[in-house]
Amino acid sequence: MYSQLLTFGAAFLGSAVESVEALTIVLAVGLTRGWRSPLYGAAVALVLLAVLVLIFGQLIVTRVPELTLKLIIGTLIVLFGLRWLHKAILRSAGIIAMHDENKSYEDTLKELSGSPLRQDWVAFTIALKGVFLEGMEVVFIVVAVGGTSGSGGLPTAVAGGLLAMLVIAVVGVVVRRPLAQVPENTLKYAVGVILASIGTFWAAEGMGAVWPLDLVSVLGLAAIYFGASRVAVMMIGRRSPVMA
Amino acid sequence: MKFLRAAVAEVIGLFVGDWAQTAVSIGILGIGWFVLSRVHVNGIAFVIGIALAVQIVYATTFEARQRSGRS
Repeated sequence: MYSQLLTFGAAFLGSAVESVEALTIVLAVGLTRGWRSPLYGAAVALVLLAVLVLIFGQLIVTRVPELTLKLIIGTLIVLFGLRWLHKAILRSAGIIAMHDENKSYEDTLKELSGSPLRQDWVAFTIALKGVFLEGMEVVFIVVAVGGTSGSGGLPTAVAGGLLAMLVIAVVGVVVRRPLAQVPENTLKYAVGVILASIGTFWAAEGMGAVWPLDLVSVLGLAAIYFGASRVAVMMIGRRSPVMA
Repeated sequence: MKFLRAAVAEVIGLFVGDWAQTAVSIGILGIGWFVLSRVHVNGIAFVIGIALAVQIVYATTFEARQRSGRS
């Protein structure tokens, strides 16, 4: 139960963040060029992503021995989570700019204004590319977290990912502008901590370690990563108080 | 072709921001594996988490110093 909740939560949060970014691109294209082509582009991208989840999900669940799977996928999740956490720390400390959906929206509009001909094709391609590339991270999170968390893990992770996409899409249709109010950087920070913790847990299990209290140890790891990230933000802030 | 290249770059970029930092993380996991296979103490795997956490503190403060130095 705890494992399923963790899997669902990680897939939901990771998918929500990336869905916000994909939505911004589709909105920018749809509101300026009409909805038909970008919606086709987004739909094709979603089909491609679903195929990737099916192929890799099945391969992982059926072909790879459990301990090997935990070691390899755990290591990849650690690297992935640490990367998100690294950026989140630098953003929190003011060293790199916060991700701004309004700016992404304006950038996409600029990209569109530079290509006056064959508008539908351009709109289709931009939406396809945007949704597919943003969705790659969702595919990894869903397959990795779902594939390693035992029986029923993959459907749970897929459900978490799909629900997040649905929620963001519905909100996007209602408000019809970029979701700049969503605390994207905070979400990425949280997902970074969660994934680094889950990844460390599974990688060590794959190495043959037995964790005290089993999955509850993930909370201990999360506390370690969160504590370290706050220390990093504090240290950076002390060195460059103006930027932080 | 351009799209494929972007997709490949995106996949690598999922795991690697800085190659040195990635190598250090993998190194920590490798040493952790070595230690775990020899030392059978309950909870020793937490040391891997602590080492990775220390690594991220070092890597982020190092990058912050570099960026501040450049600007």
